[in-house]
Amino acid sequence: MSVLDALQATLADEHAALYTYGVLGARTSQATSPALFETLTSGYRRHRARRDQLQLMVRDAGGDPVAAEVAYDLDGALLRPPQIERAAADLEAASVEVLLALVAQSTGSVREWALTEATWSAVWRLQLGQTAETWPGAPELDQA
Amino acid sequence: MPGRSLTRRTAVGVALVAPLVATACDIDPPSRDSGSAVAAPPPPEDSELVTAVVAALVRARSVVEAATLSVPDLTTLLEPVATAHAAHLEVLEGAVADADVPTPAPARVPADRAGALTAVRRSEQRLLREVRRGCVDAASGDLARVLASMAASTAQHGAALADPAAGQEGS
Repeated sequence: MSVLDALQATLADEHAALYTYGVLGARTSQATSPALFETLTSGYRRHRARRDQLQLMVRDAGGDPVAAEVAYDLDGALLRPPQIERAAADLEAASVEVLLALVAQSTGSVREWALTEATWSAVWRLQLGQTAETWPGAPELDQA
Repeated sequence: MPGRSLTRRTAVGVALVAPLVATACDIDPPSRDSGSAVAAPPPPEDSELVTAVVAALVRARSVVEAATLSVPDLTTLLEPVATAHAAHLEVLEGAVADADVPTPAPARVPADRAGALTAVRRSEQRLLREVRRGCVDAASGDLARVLASMAASTAQHGAALADPAAGQEGS
Protein backbone atom coordinates (compact mmCIF):
# COMPACT_ATOMS: atom_id res chain seq x y z
CA MET A 1 0.00 0.00 0.00
CA SER A 2 1.38 3.40 -0.99
CA VAL A 3 1.06 6.61 1.00
CA LEU A 4 -1.59 7.75 -1.48
CA ASP A 5 -3.57 4.54 -0.96
CA ALA A 6 -3.38 5.02 2.82
CA LEU A 7 -4.49 8.64 2.49
CA GLN A 8 -7.43 7.59 0.30
CA ALA A 9 -8.42 4.87 2.77
CA THR A 10 -8.30 7.38 5.61
CA LEU A 11 -10.34 9.87 3.58
CA ALA A 12 -12.95 7.21 2.80
CA ASP A 13 -13.17 6.48 6.53
CA GLU A 14 -13.62 10.19 7.25
CA HIS A 15 -16.52 10.42 4.80
CA ALA A 16 -18.21 7.63 6.72
CA ALA A 17 -17.37 9.24 10.07
CA LEU A 18 -18.90 12.56 9.02
CA TYR A 19 -22.06 10.84 7.81
CA THR A 20 -22.31 8.93 11.08
CA TYR A 21 -21.73 12.00 13.21
CA GLY A 22 -24.45 13.77 11.24
CA VAL A 23 -26.92 11.00 11.95
CA LEU A 24 -25.95 10.83 15.61
CA GLY A 25 -26.31 14.57 15.97
CA ALA A 26 -29.69 14.53 14.29
CA ARG A 27 -30.89 11.92 16.77
CA THR A 28 -29.68 13.89 19.80
CA SER A 29 -31.82 16.50 21.44
CA GLN A 30 -29.99 19.72 22.15
CA ALA A 31 -32.61 20.53 24.76
CA THR A 32 -32.57 17.29 26.75
CA SER A 33 -28.96 16.17 26.14
CA PRO A 34 -27.00 19.41 25.75
CA ALA A 35 -23.64 17.98 26.82
CA LEU A 36 -23.84 15.07 24.38
CA PHE A 37 -25.06 17.37 21.63
CA GLU A 38 -22.09 19.67 22.19
CA THR A 39 -19.66 16.74 22.22
CA LEU A 40 -21.08 15.42 18.95
CA THR A 41 -20.98 18.86 17.38
CA SER A 42 -17.33 19.29 18.34
CA GLY A 43 -16.53 15.85 17.01
CA TYR A 44 -18.29 16.58 13.74
CA ARG A 45 -16.29 19.79 13.30
CA ARG A 46 -13.00 18.02 13.97
CA HIS A 47 -13.76 15.28 11.46
CA ARG A 48 -14.92 17.82 8.87
CA ALA A 49 -11.59 19.64 9.20
CA ARG A 50 -9.81 16.29 9.02
CA ARG A 51 -11.64 15.37 5.83
CA ASP A 52 -10.77 18.70 4.26
CA GLN A 53 -7.10 18.28 5.19
CA LEU A 54 -7.06 14.76 3.79
CA GLN A 55 -8.47 15.98 0.49
CA LEU A 56 -5.59 18.45 0.27
CA MET A 57 -3.08 15.75 1.16
CA VAL A 58 -4.46 13.39 -1.49
CA ARG A 59 -4.17 16.12 -4.12
CA ASP A 60 -0.64 16.93 -2.96
CA ALA A 61 0.20 13.25 -3.39
CA GLY A 62 -1.06 13.37 -6.97
CA GLY A 63 -4.43 11.72 -6.51
CA ASP A 64 -8.10 12.55 -6.94
CA PRO A 65 -9.79 12.48 -3.54
CA VAL A 66 -12.16 9.55 -3.17
CA ALA A 67 -15.79 10.67 -3.04
CA ALA A 68 -18.26 9.96 -0.27
CA GLU A 69 -20.86 7.24 -0.64
CA VAL A 70 -24.50 8.28 -0.87
CA ALA A 71 -25.20 6.62 2.48
CA TYR A 72 -23.56 4.33 5.00
CA ASP A 73 -24.90 1.47 7.08
CA LEU A 74 -25.12 2.16 10.78
CA ASP A 75 -24.97 -0.75 13.18
CA GLY A 76 -27.47 -1.27 15.94
CA ALA A 77 -30.18 0.82 17.49
CA LEU A 78 -29.24 4.47 17.89
CA LEU A 79 -32.18 5.94 19.70
CA ARG A 80 -31.11 6.66 23.25
CA PRO A 81 -28.27 8.92 24.39
CA PRO A 82 -26.12 6.04 25.79
CA GLN A 83 -26.40 4.20 22.46
CA ILE A 84 -25.53 7.32 20.52
CA GLU A 85 -22.59 8.08 22.79
CA ARG A 86 -21.31 4.54 22.44
CA ALA A 87 -21.63 4.67 18.66
CA ALA A 88 -19.58 7.88 18.55
CA ALA A 89 -16.96 6.30 20.82
CA ASP A 90 -16.77 3.27 18.53
CA LEU A 91 -16.43 5.58 15.55
CA GLU A 92 -13.46 7.28 17.20
CA ALA A 93 -11.89 3.91 18.01
CA ALA A 94 -12.14 2.96 14.34
CA SER A 95 -10.64 6.30 13.37
CA VAL A 96 -7.63 5.66 15.61
CA GLU A 97 -7.03 2.32 13.88
CA VAL A 98 -7.23 3.84 10.40
CA LEU A 99 -4.99 6.76 11.34
CA LEU A 100 -2.42 4.41 12.87
CA ALA A 101 -2.32 2.59 9.54
CA LEU A 102 -1.58 5.93 7.90
CA VAL A 103 1.16 6.52 10.47
CA ALA A 104 2.75 3.23 9.44
CA GLN A 105 2.57 4.03 5.74
CA SER A 106 3.77 7.62 5.83
CA THR A 107 6.71 9.72 6.95
CA GLY A 108 7.41 13.31 7.93
CA SER A 109 4.58 15.81 8.10
CA VAL A 110 1.90 13.34 7.00
CA ARG A 111 2.88 10.89 9.75
CA GLU A 112 3.01 13.67 12.33
CA TRP A 113 -0.45 14.87 11.29
CA ALA A 114 -1.86 11.33 11.44
CA LEU A 115 -0.31 10.86 14.88
CA THR A 116 -1.88 14.09 16.13
CA GLU A 117 -5.30 13.14 14.79
CA ALA A 118 -5.09 9.59 16.16
CA THR A 119 -4.20 11.00 19.56
CA TRP A 120 -7.12 13.42 19.39
CA SER A 121 -9.59 10.65 18.55
CA ALA A 122 -8.22 8.47 21.35
CA VAL A 123 -8.59 11.27 23.89
CA TRP A 124 -12.02 12.22 22.55
CA ARG A 125 -13.21 8.75 23.49
CA LEU A 126 -12.91 9.85 27.11
CA GLN A 127 -15.38 12.64 26.37
CA LEU A 128 -17.68 9.93 25.08
CA GLY A 129 -17.68 7.96 28.31
CA GLN A 130 -14.80 5.57 27.66
CA THR A 131 -11.74 4.96 29.82
CA ALA A 132 -8.06 5.22 28.96
CA GLU A 133 -6.64 2.21 27.12
CA THR A 134 -3.24 0.57 26.89
CA TRP A 135 -3.15 0.06 23.12
CA PRO A 136 -5.71 2.34 21.41
CA GLY A 137 -5.92 1.59 17.71
CA ALA A 138 -3.77 -1.54 18.01
CA PRO A 139 -6.01 -4.13 19.67
CA GLU A 140 -3.82 -7.06 18.65
CA LEU A 141 -1.16 -5.81 21.06
CA ASP A 142 -3.52 -6.41 23.97
CA GLN A 143 -3.38 -10.11 23.15
CA ALA A 144 -0.12 -11.20 24.68
CA MET B 1 -4.08 -4.37 9.24
CA PRO B 2 -5.05 -4.08 12.90
CA GLY B 3 -7.01 -6.75 14.64
CA ARG B 4 -5.03 -9.81 13.75
CA SER B 5 -3.44 -11.96 16.40
CA LEU B 6 0.14 -11.06 17.12
CA THR B 7 2.27 -11.30 20.22
CA ARG B 8 3.43 -8.02 21.69
CA ARG B 9 7.12 -8.73 21.47
CA THR B 10 6.82 -10.12 17.96
CA ALA B 11 5.16 -6.92 16.83
CA VAL B 12 8.06 -4.66 17.69
CA GLY B 13 10.81 -7.19 17.30
CA VAL B 14 9.96 -7.81 13.70
CA ALA B 15 9.25 -4.15 13.09
CA LEU B 16 12.76 -3.35 14.18
CA VAL B 17 14.42 -6.21 12.42
CA ALA B 18 12.65 -6.00 9.10
CA PRO B 19 11.46 -2.46 8.41
CA LEU B 20 11.96 -2.81 4.68
CA VAL B 21 9.91 -5.95 4.56
CA ALA B 22 7.17 -4.25 6.53
CA THR B 23 6.95 -1.27 4.23
CA ALA B 24 6.97 -3.44 1.15
CA CYS B 25 3.99 -5.54 2.15
CA ASP B 26 1.51 -3.17 3.71
CA ILE B 27 1.45 -3.20 7.50
CA ASP B 28 0.24 -6.73 7.91
CA PRO B 29 1.60 -8.13 11.16
CA PRO B 30 4.23 -10.81 10.67
CA SER B 31 3.55 -14.44 11.37
CA ARG B 32 4.15 -15.95 14.78
CA ASP B 33 6.97 -18.00 13.28
CA SER B 34 9.08 -14.88 13.10
CA GLY B 35 9.09 -14.39 16.87
CA SER B 36 12.72 -15.50 17.07
CA ALA B 37 13.67 -12.19 15.49
CA VAL B 38 13.00 -10.40 18.77
CA ALA B 39 16.49 -11.06 20.11
CA ALA B 40 18.15 -9.58 17.05
CA PRO B 41 19.46 -6.04 17.39
CA PRO B 42 17.31 -3.29 15.88
CA PRO B 43 18.63 -1.38 12.89
CA PRO B 44 20.87 1.48 14.01
CA GLU B 45 18.50 4.19 12.85
CA ASP B 46 15.75 2.93 15.18
CA SER B 47 17.71 1.41 18.06
CA GLU B 48 18.65 4.79 19.49
CA LEU B 49 15.09 6.08 19.51
CA VAL B 50 13.79 2.85 21.03
CA THR B 51 16.40 3.18 23.77
CA ALA B 52 15.31 6.78 24.35
CA VAL B 53 11.64 5.79 24.61
CA VAL B 54 12.48 2.93 26.99
CA ALA B 55 14.46 5.35 29.16
CA ALA B 56 11.50 7.76 29.19
CA LEU B 57 9.13 4.95 30.11
CA VAL B 58 11.36 3.73 32.93
CA ARG B 59 11.62 7.28 34.29
CA ALA B 60 7.84 7.79 34.05
CA ARG B 61 7.29 4.48 35.82
CA SER B 62 9.56 5.55 38.64
CA VAL B 63 7.56 8.76 39.09
CA VAL B 64 4.31 6.81 39.33
CA GLU B 65 5.88 4.43 41.84
CA ALA B 66 7.18 7.33 43.91
CA ALA B 67 3.77 9.02 43.82
CA THR B 68 1.97 5.94 45.09
CA LEU B 69 4.56 5.48 47.82
CA SER B 70 4.23 9.12 48.88
CA VAL B 71 0.43 9.17 48.66
CA PRO B 72 -0.96 5.61 48.90
CA ASP B 73 -4.44 7.01 48.31
CA LEU B 74 -3.40 7.55 44.67
CA THR B 75 -2.74 3.87 44.04
CA THR B 76 -6.15 3.12 42.54
CA LEU B 77 -6.12 6.23 40.38
CA LEU B 78 -2.62 5.56 39.04
CA GLU B 79 -2.97 1.81 38.60
CA PRO B 80 -4.11 2.07 34.93
CA VAL B 81 -1.14 4.32 34.19
CA ALA B 82 1.25 1.81 35.78
CA THR B 83 -0.39 -1.01 33.83
CA ALA B 84 0.08 0.85 30.56
CA HIS B 85 3.72 1.60 31.36
CA ALA B 86 4.37 -2.07 32.11
CA ALA B 87 2.72 -3.21 28.87
CA HIS B 88 4.55 -0.63 26.79
CA LEU B 89 7.87 -1.54 28.39
CA GLU B 90 7.21 -5.22 27.82
CA VAL B 91 6.96 -4.58 24.11
CA LEU B 92 9.97 -2.32 23.77
CA GLU B 93 12.37 -4.00 26.18
CA GLY B 94 12.42 -7.06 23.99
CA ALA B 95 14.07 -4.96 21.32
CA VAL B 96 16.69 -3.33 23.54
CA ALA B 97 19.82 -4.95 24.94
CA ASP B 98 19.71 -5.30 28.73
CA ALA B 99 22.64 -2.94 29.06
CA ASP B 100 20.61 -0.22 27.39
CA VAL B 101 17.72 -0.37 29.87
CA PRO B 102 18.49 2.42 32.33
CA THR B 103 18.09 2.37 36.08
CA PRO B 104 16.68 5.78 36.94
CA ALA B 105 17.51 7.72 40.06
CA PRO B 106 14.68 7.53 42.59
CA ALA B 107 12.07 10.11 41.69
CA ARG B 108 11.19 12.77 44.23
CA VAL B 109 7.51 13.47 44.51
CA PRO B 110 5.70 15.80 46.93
CA ALA B 111 3.98 14.07 49.81
CA ASP B 112 0.64 15.80 49.27
CA ARG B 113 -1.99 14.52 46.84
CA ALA B 114 -2.13 17.58 44.61
CA GLY B 115 1.63 17.88 44.39
CA ALA B 116 2.10 14.19 43.64
CA LEU B 117 -0.55 14.30 40.92
CA THR B 118 1.06 17.34 39.36
CA ALA B 119 4.40 15.53 39.30
CA VAL B 120 2.83 12.53 37.56
CA ARG B 121 1.02 14.72 35.02
CA ARG B 122 4.24 16.53 34.12
CA SER B 123 6.08 13.24 33.87
CA GLU B 124 3.42 11.86 31.53
CA GLN B 125 3.60 14.98 29.35
CA ARG B 126 7.34 14.53 29.07
CA LEU B 127 6.86 10.88 28.21
CA LEU B 128 4.32 11.81 25.54
CA ARG B 129 6.79 14.19 23.90
CA GLU B 130 9.45 11.48 23.80
CA VAL B 131 7.12 8.84 22.37
CA ARG B 132 5.81 11.27 19.74
CA ARG B 133 9.36 12.13 18.74
CA GLY B 134 10.18 8.46 18.39
CA CYS B 135 7.07 7.83 16.31
CA VAL B 136 7.78 10.65 13.88
CA ASP B 137 11.46 9.71 13.51
CA ALA B 138 11.11 5.93 13.27
CA ALA B 139 12.43 4.36 10.09
CA SER B 140 10.14 1.38 10.54
CA GLY B 141 6.50 2.01 9.78
CA ASP B 142 5.38 -0.79 12.08
CA LEU B 143 7.43 0.62 14.94
CA ALA B 144 5.93 4.05 14.26
CA ARG B 145 2.47 2.50 14.52
CA VAL B 146 3.29 0.89 17.87
CA LEU B 147 4.70 4.16 19.19
CA ALA B 148 1.65 6.05 17.89
CA SER B 149 -0.59 3.74 19.90
CA MET B 150 1.63 4.31 22.94
CA ALA B 151 1.38 8.06 22.43
CA ALA B 152 -2.39 7.87 22.16
CA SER B 153 -2.55 5.80 25.34
CA THR B 154 -0.26 8.21 27.19
CA ALA B 155 -2.40 11.15 26.07
CA GLN B 156 -5.55 9.36 27.24
CA HIS B 157 -4.10 8.69 30.67
CA GLY B 158 -2.83 12.26 30.88
CA ALA B 159 -6.29 13.57 30.04
CA ALA B 160 -7.86 11.29 32.63
CA LEU B 161 -5.46 12.58 35.29
CA ALA B 162 -6.19 16.16 34.26
CA ASP B 163 -9.89 15.62 34.91
CA PRO B 164 -10.79 17.71 37.98
CA ALA B 165 -12.38 14.63 39.52
CA ALA B 166 -8.96 12.95 39.55
CA GLY B 167 -7.65 15.57 41.96
CA GLN B 168 -10.32 14.95 44.55
CA GLU B 169 -10.01 12.65 47.52
CA GLY B 170 -11.39 9.17 47.01
CA SER B 171 -11.14 9.20 43.21
